[in-house]
Amino acid sequence: MRRRRVDPAAGARAGALPEAIAALSRSLPSGPSPEIFRRAKFDRPEATSALWQLLFRVLSPLPAGNALASIALEVQARLVKSALCSQGYPRLALAQLPEDGSKGSRELLLALSWLLARGPVPEQMLAQTRVPLGDEMTVCQCEALASLGPPAPHLEAEGPVDVRHVQWLMGKLRFRWRQLVSSQQEQCALLSKIHLYTRGCHSDQNLGHLSVTEAEMLRDPEGGQKLLRTLEHESRRLEAVLAWRRAEPVFWQWMDTVLGTCAPEAPAAASQPTFLPWVPECGDGELELVARELQTLEEELREAVERRRVAWEAKARGCGRGPEWSAARRASRETVEKELGALQRCWEQDSGPAPAHGPHRLVRREDGAAGDRDLRAAELIRTLRSQEACLEAVLRQLQGQCRQELAGLAGALPGLIWIPPPGR
Amino acid sequence: MLPADCSRRLVAELQGALDACAHRQLQLEQSLRVCRRLLQAWEPTGTWAWEPPPEPETNEEDPLPACTPSPQDLKELEFLTQALEKAVRVRRGITKAGERNKAPSLKPRSIVTSPGTTASTPPQSPGQAGGHASDRRPTKGLRQTTVPAKGRPERRLPSVRDRTRAGIGARAPRPGAGLRNQHMAPSAAPQAPEAFTLKEKGHLLRLPAAFRKAASQNSSLWAQLSSMQTSDSMDAAAAKTQFLRNIQTASGGSQPRLSAAEVEAEARRLRKACSLLRLRVREELSAAPMDWMQEYRCLLTLEGLQAMVGQCLQRLQELRAAVAERPPLPCPVGRPPRASPSCGGGAEPTWSPQLLVYSSTQELQTLAALKLRVAVLDQQIHLEKVLLEEEMGVQQRSAALRRT
Repeated sequence: MRRRRVDPAAGARAGALPEAIAALSRSLPSGPSPEIFRRAKFDRPEATSALWQLLFRVLSPLPAGNALASIALEVQARLVKSALCSQGYPRLALAQLPEDGSKGSRELLLALSWLLARGPVPEQMLAQTRVPLGDEMTVCQCEALASLGPPAPHLEAEGPVDVRHVQWLMGKLRFRWRQLVSSQQEQCALLSKIHLYTRGCHSDQNLGHLSVTEAEMLRDPEGGQKLLRTLEHESRRLEAVLAWRRAEPVFWQWMDTVLGTCAPEAPAAASQPTFLPWVPECGDGELELVARELQTLEEELREAVERRRVAWEAKARGCGRGPEWSAARRASRETVEKELGALQRCWEQDSGPAPAHGPHRLVRREDGAAGDRDLRAAELIRTLRSQEACLEAVLRQLQGQCRQELAGLAGALPGLIWIPPPGR
Repeated sequence: MLPADCSRRLVAELQGALDACAHRQLQLEQSLRVCRRLLQAWEPTGTWAWEPPPEPETNEEDPLPACTPSPQDLKELEFLTQALEKAVRVRRGITKAGERNKAPSLKPRSIVTSPGTTASTPPQSPGQAGGHASDRRPTKGLRQTTVPAKGRPERRLPSVRDRTRAGIGARAPRPGAGLRNQHMAPSAAPQAPEAFTLKEKGHLLRLPAAFRKAASQNSSLWAQLSSMQTSDSMDAAAAKTQFLRNIQTASGGSQPRLSAAEVEAEARRLRKACSLLRLRVREELSAAPMDWMQEYRCLLTLEGLQAMVGQCLQRLQELRAAVAERPPLPCPVGRPPRASPSCGGGAEPTWSPQLLVYSSTQELQTLAALKLRVAVLDQQIHLEKVLLEEEMGVQQRSAALRRT
């Protein structure tokens, strides 16, 4: 941790704090000037709208773009409140702030600090807008076909929906899946060719060949210049983040004083934070489903275990007793415990010692040799195959459940027409 | 048909899935366009390409006149240049003039591989007229033909100063380099204009020095960030925890309410537990034990699994009770993404991208196809779940109706 040498006359924090705040503001995208931070400490109104906008940038799940900039301040403020609320932000004063940006900058500063304390915000934002120099493929499934937002309520609202419409949509979806498969195969083939033809070009021996981005740069120097500028811009931001990390402790001392100037809040009665009417309910439906599955499993297990236990006891009585016998049993018990423990860890840990998240740079090597930290395609393929098998099993089971439910419904509601569930 | 409101949800979800596919298709097509274009014929314009094979790096980065060739060499080179250029002029004729207007920006890498780099005739192929970014200045700068005294005069031939229009510059080659160029020349001196294709000449491309420098600086900064992350200073971490605690106590809430995000996370964990347990149960039930030891182990495993299922159920009930009693704080607008922002920044993220190594087109295609398949299965499962939930909702409602 670097501490700036300051002259003893000034306070120990004198030099370091502005430096820390300046680094912070440089490390955030369109970060407000350090002056805003200072004003916010004193709850000056003019600092409010800049902080609303910053919080909106930080909390918005969508990537930055012109679309974001055009959203009105009130809407931004409301979204910020809702997002903070859903993350469990404890301060109630924030929910009560007016949305026109007229006051509340100190509360907003506290909210920002709360977010900064909970996670590596500047790094995350930087990673979102990162310049990919290579041809990247994500390892986790997260963004594979992520939907673009809450399903919009269908516009033709009234009246029952014709089942043929549903079937038509389903057919359309299947067609799109097939299209995706063939486009992707082609893209892989082309990518592989480009990698093959440019082998030996890259200055970095580890990589060995150019990526599409790099080849594009050679084909289009203007684009190349742009890329270069973006790259340098990103490097400046990175330097700012590093400076921020080094100067951080000073910032937290200061934030404690800011918090100190706020009056403690009275415990909430039944104040509901505002929420938006069209927010989809995170319903109980999900949990209900899981409950049912677990219950079925429990039933199945109970039966099987009983049966086997009885059979085993009968058999065990036949075999002799002895020290080897009990030693063997103990060994078995230990093995089983260990295995089950490992299984439990699979879901207990949020993100296990798992294969990395996020994008990986594709590199073609004839021998497929890879370093320690690199992933091999073959291994990934194995993992994906088992994932596929797992998901297929889940799907089949769900389809079975759907059919059962429908049978039940058909009985309960006369006149109900059977819809084949959206299947393969 | 299903009652209107629930099938409406299904339709909305289907539409969402369709949109997601369309979005991905668009991305793929964009990428395809770029790749196809790269595999056709194009010109690596400017001084970006055709650097000589990387000699020891010090060569290019060295700005000092330490590599100035002797005046003797320079003179000889100048004579050679003139002679060659004259020969080329005679050979080329004016037909080639103006053929490639971009060409003037190319510079011969050295005299021996500079057919057609005379003032009047643009080089017939960008491949042959090796341009070369000997420094970090953009193309235009190098076209300055009073070959910049402030630049790297040691890298230019004196004759270059005269070649205004063609803007020819050449690297003052070392003898070694010259030889290498010679080797290149015969193979790279066709008479007809030959388009550059990645297939044939891709391996000769080189990235510009400016870019290389920027890229390596960038990746080292990311690496620094990664290492700083893992060794987060104690002070900072402690200060942050303290601040969070302070803010919690200074605020109204005593027990923080469960946020929707946390409920979702817990539900996800339990779902994962359920599917893993089920898989394991299947395995055990279908396994045929050979001897009594295996049978015993199988039995123990099943009993253990039974206990775990019971635990999960209990946790689930507790969660549902908590949710029912104190409704969780609402979700933010936008589907609580399965790709939460925490995906990029979960536990111990590594900020610098790692490599994914593949060895053949086949392998890459298999990998991509599997990824897509898993994503499609995810979508199907989600739709199936929506249908199931809606059906259950209908059932509950009709049961309620029947009761009244």
